[in-house]
Amino acid sequence: MDKPEFYQRLAEILDVEEVKPEDVLKEFDGWDSLAILSVLAMADAKYGVSIKAEEIRSVVSAQNLANLVEAKHKPE
Amino acid sequence: MKLIFHRKRIAGTLVVVPANERSFAADMKNFNFPKSRSLKLKEVMGFDKRRVVGPDVCVSDLAVFGLEHLFERGWLKREEIDALIVVTQTPDYLIPETSCVIHGRLGLKRDMLSLSLSQACTGYLIGLIQGFMLLDQESIKKVVLVNSDVLSRKVSSQDRNIYPLVGDACSITVLERDTEGSVVHAIVRVDGSRSGALMIPAGGMRQPHTSETAKLEDVGDGNWRAREHLFMDGAAIFNFVQTEVPPLIESLLEHAGAPMDSVDFFLCHQPNRFMLEKLADKIKIPRAKMPNDVVGHFGNNSGATIPTVMAFNLGERLLREKLRVCLAGFGAGLTWAGMLLNIGKFDFNTIIEYK
Repeated sequence: MDKPEFYQRLAEILDVEEVKPEDVLKEFDGWDSLAILSVLAMADAKYGVSIKAEEIRSVVSAQNLANLVEAKHKPE
Repeated sequence: MKLIFHRKRIAGTLVVVPANERSFAADMKNFNFPKSRSLKLKEVMGFDKRRVVGPDVCVSDLAVFGLEHLFERGWLKREEIDALIVVTQTPDYLIPETSCVIHGRLGLKRDMLSLSLSQACTGYLIGLIQGFMLLDQESIKKVVLVNSDVLSRKVSSQDRNIYPLVGDACSITVLERDTEGSVVHAIVRVDGSRSGALMIPAGGMRQPHTSETAKLEDVGDGNWRAREHLFMDGAAIFNFVQTEVPPLIESLLEHAGAPMDSVDFFLCHQPNRFMLEKLADKIKIPRAKMPNDVVGHFGNNSGATIPTVMAFNLGERLLREKLRVCLAGFGAGLTWAGMLLNIGKFDFNTIIEYK
């Protein structure tokens, strides 16, 4: 999985310039229910990965999220 | 589960919506929530206007109003109704069931069947399935399917997750036998183990009403809700729809031996625009084939959203021509179902206002 590309997609959802791996998701103003749905949709559409709502709520940093998607992602 | 019905048709559908309209932008001002985020929600989810009843309006009020409209217009005769099915989760009373209440108020004949079903956003499909089964009886020639909820009365006005998007409506659909050799394919599925994702925990027999269950509780993010209010885990529902509905539609088309491009329209339950766009993308159909703007005009009115799409998006067309459509409903239960059929040449297909 291309991690920089994932962080860029996350930045677009959160409406910010850049997301760093160590950034804490809850500290973004844009991290709300819509952002969570957008991440679920992005993971599904771009990586073919289905994340559960509980899983996404338990992650802290952007890196945790990237790792979660990567762990489920099976390259074609 | 695969189902199949022969020689059954929808004769027409009428949707009754309350005249009272609320706006998303105005409702969101009551919450401590940044305006920029509200605007983004409006833009992405498509929330805008919605129709809600006053504090004392019940399902039978909307249904009686609509049925009398059909009698006045001559679109249905009182004595023709052989079965009345009411699908609702917001009944007038615990006892008797709402179909009997409507029967009594309209003075319908005694020699008929009255039935109520407790189903949520899949309710329209479950009602159609029940109606088509009843039409196999020789003595049942016309079935009236009422699918209605007044859910705005069961959501907390201080719960930002649900209050600004719920609407009320009543759909009335007339079902009859078809002289043409039509075939209806359907698939129904259920997963009761996930019932907690959409639920009103208190007010039934498990947790009867007390002053405690009616008390607003702080549920986080500045939202307040009582146990008698509707709870929805939005992210879990989104996941459910994206995971379960595409394979359902695929199985349905396979069951019917119909290719995806033979379907003119996919008329789905209408939770919000975002979910429906993602659903259309996932099953790889043009977004224009899956209308998604009911929520922005009427709100999410539970099972009645599917007949609302028929009347709002395809109103005139369905009076003139026949279209091949795939219906899909999904919601509390959890339940989800799909139906592939030809609809059209309706006797009536319109939306009226309840004042």
